[in-house]
Amino acid sequence: MSDILRQHAEQLFAHEIDALKQQDTEKRPINWQLSPQAVVTYLMGGMLPNGTEITPKYIGNRRLMEIAVATLATDRALLLYGLPGTAKSWVSEHLAAAISGDSTLVVQGTAGTSEEAIRYGWNYARLLAEGPSENALVATPVMRAMREGRLARVEELTRIGADVQDSLITILSEKAMPIPELNMEVQAIKGFNIIATANNRDKGVNELSGALKRRFNTVILPLPETADEETDIVRRRVASFEKVMELQAETPAMEEIKRVVTIFRELRSGVTADGKTKVKSPSGTLSTAEAISVMNNGLTMAAFFGNGRISAADLGAGITGAIVKDPVQDKIVWLEYLETVVKTRDGWKDLYRACRELADDSTKK
Amino acid sequence: MNTHILGIRHHGPGCARHLREALETIRPDLILVEGPPEAEALLQWADDQMQPPVALLFHETETPRNSVFYPFAVFSPEWQAIQYAREHRIPLRFMDLPATHNLAWHTLKNTDEVPEETTETAIHADPTGYLAEAAGYADGEKWWEAMFEQRRDGMAMFEAIAEAMTTLRQTLALPETRYEQTREAWMRKTIRQAEREMYSEVAIICGAWHVPALATMPKQKDDNELLKGLPKVKTEGTWVPWTYERLSLGSGYGAGIVSPGWYHHLWQHPQDDGTIWQTSVATLFRQKDMDISTAHVIEAVRLGHTLAAIRALPFAGLDEMNEATTTVMCMGDSFPMQLIHNGLVVSNRMGVVPDGIPRPPLQADIEKQQKKLRLPVSVDYKDYQLDLRKENDLERSIFLNRLQLLHIHWGTKMTATGKGTFREEWRLQWNTSYLIDIIAMGTWGNTLPEAATAYVLHQLNTATLTDVTNLLQHSLLADLPEVTDALTNRLANVAASAGDVLQLMEVVPGLVQMARYGNVRQNDTEKLTQVAEGIITRICIALPPACCGVSDDAATDLLEQMSALNEAINTLQHADSSYLWEQALQAIASNQQSAPILNGYAVRFLYDRRMLEGDELNRYLSFALSVTNAPATAAGWLEGFLRGSGMILLLDDVLWHTIETWMASLPEDAFIAVLPLLRRTFAHFSHAERRKMGEKAKNNTAAQPTKTQVAEAGIDHQRALQALPIVHRLLGITSPANNTTA
Repeated sequence: MSDILRQHAEQLFAHEIDALKQQDTEKRPINWQLSPQAVVTYLMGGMLPNGTEITPKYIGNRRLMEIAVATLATDRALLLYGLPGTAKSWVSEHLAAAISGDSTLVVQGTAGTSEEAIRYGWNYARLLAEGPSENALVATPVMRAMREGRLARVEELTRIGADVQDSLITILSEKAMPIPELNMEVQAIKGFNIIATANNRDKGVNELSGALKRRFNTVILPLPETADEETDIVRRRVASFEKVMELQAETPAMEEIKRVVTIFRELRSGVTADGKTKVKSPSGTLSTAEAISVMNNGLTMAAFFGNGRISAADLGAGITGAIVKDPVQDKIVWLEYLETVVKTRDGWKDLYRACRELADDSTKK
Repeated sequence: MNTHILGIRHHGPGCARHLREALETIRPDLILVEGPPEAEALLQWADDQMQPPVALLFHETETPRNSVFYPFAVFSPEWQAIQYAREHRIPLRFMDLPATHNLAWHTLKNTDEVPEETTETAIHADPTGYLAEAAGYADGEKWWEAMFEQRRDGMAMFEAIAEAMTTLRQTLALPETRYEQTREAWMRKTIRQAEREMYSEVAIICGAWHVPALATMPKQKDDNELLKGLPKVKTEGTWVPWTYERLSLGSGYGAGIVSPGWYHHLWQHPQDDGTIWQTSVATLFRQKDMDISTAHVIEAVRLGHTLAAIRALPFAGLDEMNEATTTVMCMGDSFPMQLIHNGLVVSNRMGVVPDGIPRPPLQADIEKQQKKLRLPVSVDYKDYQLDLRKENDLERSIFLNRLQLLHIHWGTKMTATGKGTFREEWRLQWNTSYLIDIIAMGTWGNTLPEAATAYVLHQLNTATLTDVTNLLQHSLLADLPEVTDALTNRLANVAASAGDVLQLMEVVPGLVQMARYGNVRQNDTEKLTQVAEGIITRICIALPPACCGVSDDAATDLLEQMSALNEAINTLQHADSSYLWEQALQAIASNQQSAPILNGYAVRFLYDRRMLEGDELNRYLSFALSVTNAPATAAGWLEGFLRGSGMILLLDDVLWHTIETWMASLPEDAFIAVLPLLRRTFAHFSHAERRKMGEKAKNNTAAQPTKTQVAEAGIDHQRALQALPIVHRLLGITSPANNTTA
């Protein structure tokens, strides 16, 4: 067992990729180590004819993964788009691992990402000593991917400044990266493509320019489809949190998790679970990840300040905090929801009271 | 006689194409098609002037509601068979159970007089689904499409279908219902008849499921036994224009298909690899101002092909096309796809039937009611005064209102003279163009209430808050309880998502009035009241913040709405709503950020309700009218506070005193600044009131507020005032009021 904190996908699932490689009889695009069909199997899980079990990496709609893989087989780049916590980076890592056998060619997009991080930089010591030469060039993951015919990944594309983003245009349309300083260019070999991820709820992001947008096929990764699926994800993740933190609190009852997931889903989708009443949606994202953190928060409260049993009061603050991000608009939404939905629901009185109290307190301020 | 049995699915472009080819090869001298024999008489109309989608409609003469439709699209194999027969001048016969028996059978079934010994199984309802499952497909539609519709080489297709269905029916040996047995017996009877008439090449076109039953002929005697003593009703039939929307599954049509528009495309462009389709998608998007380039189209077609390859399909189907469109053109967002769904996948195509075709049932129904209600058709107009307390008049009003809902404006509603909500005045004037409207609206239903219901429900999806309220108002008058329910629900939903509190407030007075007016018409308005209360709750939560930081104009608008709402809430007389309303106004009153005019109004409201009294009121007043406040603010506040209540100011010395003190304390320049604003406030009062105020101010008769005020609280001053002239005359004094009128 290695003591690396987190291994790359291609290391962690090496045996699965190997097994798929051996069993794969379909046609492989040049420089792909698996056929598109096998990549989809790798992502969605399944049983190979020789009995090797492929674990599912992505739990959700198979068609989305098919679209993603098909896109990478055409000459358009792939943009995975979605709320935070919908497994965008996870899917991107596994796609790169399965297709190129290497998920490490990553550019992390931030507001400070410069053009050097995407195209190429210079080793200034060498540059000064030897003058401009290929040796003084510092290749970026994108450039390496082009040379080797692999997939490059750009995380949080929309966080990168618009001018820097646009340096991708030539790379994506002409599959070449000019280096005017050396009067040369790097031409991508077959198999090269880019997977970018971006977040559609963030504020202060840089919208893609029309020209760049056109070079990406967009796949939106949705939130979990059913309440049960989401409850299950939350339960698993909360259980692992408990273990890591070594909390003394009791495992939260399924009931509590269900309530939080229900509230989040209802507010997110703008309609109650029974489909009868419409509700307004607040400005926050309310993703599964946030439901998990509300539960974790409640658990910690119960362990340190409560009696160890998670109660409505422990959850109230977390829920309110997650929902009311904008003190004016969200508060109206939340109060309306409390009054019209939570108040009338059987067995939810405790939660109603806990949340209502908090809401009233903040009004007085 | 050579029989060629061609099993088909009722609406399938591939099937239709192969059928056409098969007919060209067979060159039959007679075609038999699954359909009611009565339709043969209507075939003469199916000429070039008729443009599908159209439907054969048969209904019981007595009750048009009992009806059956046989829709045809251009890609329906049956339609192509009809066209082939017409072009080649060969006879075509329908061989299904006649509508006269069919409709009678359905009536009996509804009254349980025919004991059904076997029930239909899931396989009967969807045999292809069963085969698809056996073939490892999750969706029968997909399987059929991949196996048959998209096949481009398919002469052997009909043999394959026959073989598949024969095996299916033999292997499963499912018990058939009596109804299905009878239908198939009738089909065989028609085939035997054709044989007797010495036809040599007969093409038989039927649903795939029936193929085995027609391939092997049982004894004629058994069939005759089955067909003995069938129930009968009198029926009428006609062609009606149809729409692709009504052909789609979503419209509730049993043999509906998911994507009529896509099938139409496949029929028109059998060789299209997606290029033509994606180009029309792009064109539609461009019409809606979305920037779609040719490069988008190219990429979408490519992605569609790659997806089909990954899924091991021979051609990219609708799913692949849609997914490619979403991913390439819509940034992965499926919302714009609704546009494609409505515009292309289902498509809004509507058929045309030639003039002079027998009249459809909706028209028949309207004419029937016209006679019953004694509302004769005439080209000259005639006015009717309806007293809704009389049953006949009420029905007339309902009838006319329903026509209005269908946009058939035979009657125009006039403003009724005389008082009372039970009176209505209508002007009726017939125009021949209404006939066309009626036929067009016939797609929505066979009877007036049915059509009106369906049509309003159709509008529901796109209706805004104001639309819904309007529709609701009309549908209440038209006595359509189902619609009213749906509209009420829709209203609740739209209201919930409406962000604009002003918009919500506009709706409430109308709603409350409907709830009241409904009682006159004996409607159940409890639900409506509930919705109104729900909206009031939302308003009360959202109103206080909405009163902050608004411009003067907006505040004045809001004030109008608030006072209308106040009236509505008073009319509603519901404790919860009134309480919430009081709470909301309290919040507005106590919030210094509220617009002054609204703040003033709220304070006044609380004062009227005796929730603010004496010193506390004084405190509010002096606070709002403090010298440090900008004069415009104070005057605005005063305008809200004194809105429409000059008389009260005259009689309530507490009020008078407070205001007078404030005014007197103004320094000269501040007074000049505030004067125009004060004039604006006081201009709303009547002339007499203003004059009296002047006198009161001049004489300074207002005493310091005394305890007697409290004792007078219950007295209606206005009414008391009416008695004053008489009192004056009795006492022999000249009344001051007389002077003003003179």
